[in-house]
Amino acid sequence: MAAGLVARYAPPFRLVGAHFATGIAGLLVFAAALLASARGLEGHFFQARVLALTHLCVLGWLMPITLGALHQLVPVVFERPLLSTRLPYLGLACLVAGAAGMIWQFWHWGVYQESFVWYAGLAAAGLAIDVLHLSATIARSRRHGLTGANVLASFAWLLAAAILGVVLAWNLWHPFLAADHLQLLRVHAHAAALGFFGLLIMGVAYRLLEMFLLAYVDAWRPGWIALVATNAALGLLVASFLLGSRLFHLAAIGAGAVGIAAFLVQIRRMVRARARRALDQAFRHTQMSLLYLALAALTGAALVLVPMSAGVRDRLVLVYGVLALPGFIGSIVIGQLHKILPFLVWFHRFGPYVGLKKVPTAGELLPAPPQRLLLLLLHGAIALLVAGVLADAAPLRLAGSALFAAAALVLTYNLGVIATRRP
Amino acid sequence: MTTHEDLWSALHDVPDPETGLDIVDLGLVYEATFQPDRATARIVATFTTPACPAGEVIADAIVRRLEQVPGVVTVDLEITFEPRWSPARISPAGRAHLGM
Repeated sequence: MAAGLVARYAPPFRLVGAHFATGIAGLLVFAAALLASARGLEGHFFQARVLALTHLCVLGWLMPITLGALHQLVPVVFERPLLSTRLPYLGLACLVAGAAGMIWQFWHWGVYQESFVWYAGLAAAGLAIDVLHLSATIARSRRHGLTGANVLASFAWLLAAAILGVVLAWNLWHPFLAADHLQLLRVHAHAAALGFFGLLIMGVAYRLLEMFLLAYVDAWRPGWIALVATNAALGLLVASFLLGSRLFHLAAIGAGAVGIAAFLVQIRRMVRARARRALDQAFRHTQMSLLYLALAALTGAALVLVPMSAGVRDRLVLVYGVLALPGFIGSIVIGQLHKILPFLVWFHRFGPYVGLKKVPTAGELLPAPPQRLLLLLLHGAIALLVAGVLADAAPLRLAGSALFAAAALVLTYNLGVIATRRP
Repeated sequence: MTTHEDLWSALHDVPDPETGLDIVDLGLVYEATFQPDRATARIVATFTTPACPAGEVIADAIVRRLEQVPGVVTVDLEITFEPRWSPARISPAGRAHLGM
């Protein structure tokens, strides 16, 4: 019989499903909160609504779905079962409880209290449980390679971001840091967004493109360059924020540009080499995500290189956040959800009938029209939000938020359709 | 009398969940022979990648489908990654299906 089949390492469906359901609930709350605060989405980023929305987006929506996908992918890709199928639930519970408390206190600007530190610590503990657990799973594998290196590096940056988040929370309660709080906040944000999500997306993308597009290449040098350059950029960025060095900041931009360009070159090579020529709707989200990544990088570079007034800078920082979070990370998370969830449903419900009767493919579990609608709503929303923030036009921001809420509802509908499909 | 062709024909009924292409046209089956003395179908197959998430379903489906072929009592399935699968193994019909 077929020994060593990797799917046998996959975790129970309910574990991944619990993470996905939590993330979708977080997305709906984020969409409602965005809509409620769209008119006032202006000014400096260090304010109640912007910080609450940012953490709701990252910890409420993106993180649970990403962790759910990781709990599915790590055992399959690295051919090792999870050490525990209970620890992830503990991690998720800590994350949700901690994030909920933090976001509530951000929203009402109760961040100077001891309870805020406890909530931040609880959320960080949840992340640490998952990072250490998944790292231990990967460490037992001999299949590391470029994906393994990216994933482990991303975990290190997530741990750093989580610890720094607790330190920052403590510093708000009892100021003790000599360094500028806002500079450390920028380190925290970049460690999470580029360090964790960026490196993780890079590493996982290489494997998912192989699996979904049958895209096989032998040359991985651009991918390795992307890994090294992105880590170097992050290190230089941390140094530049801490030391206030413009030279380090410029070097970070250079290294980051090399990293992103090398990643895009690697992806382009794979996409060109794919056996499966037709690109589905899910991959359109990935294409848009890469566009947002490039736009976010250009915006970040402009913030450093181009002299501008404080008002324009504040608006560009918000645009940077929209492009990076719901844009780059959100789009790819949504795209991959439309690949991973159908596959899981197909695997668990339709797999036993393969060979006995005709079964649909994973991609046929959801018709194309609602996927196309989601594509239009989501990317229309992001375009309007960016335009509304740039032009300081509240009606545009409101329209963008309304489209985003509609996109969140369509996504929920799509996933509900997939999750309820049966043979 | 069961023939090798019966096995190949049956294996066309096992699809890849992602592309919808059957595993024969996808080039995943390296060998399909029938051993009449043991009433055994011997299959050597691969997956597109060693970390193929659909591997277990495909392997189970191969066994399940071949056990339905008249004359087959047991299925001896070997999964190998030597040689590694590549898109060059896709049949002309498969290439047309994928738009290659």
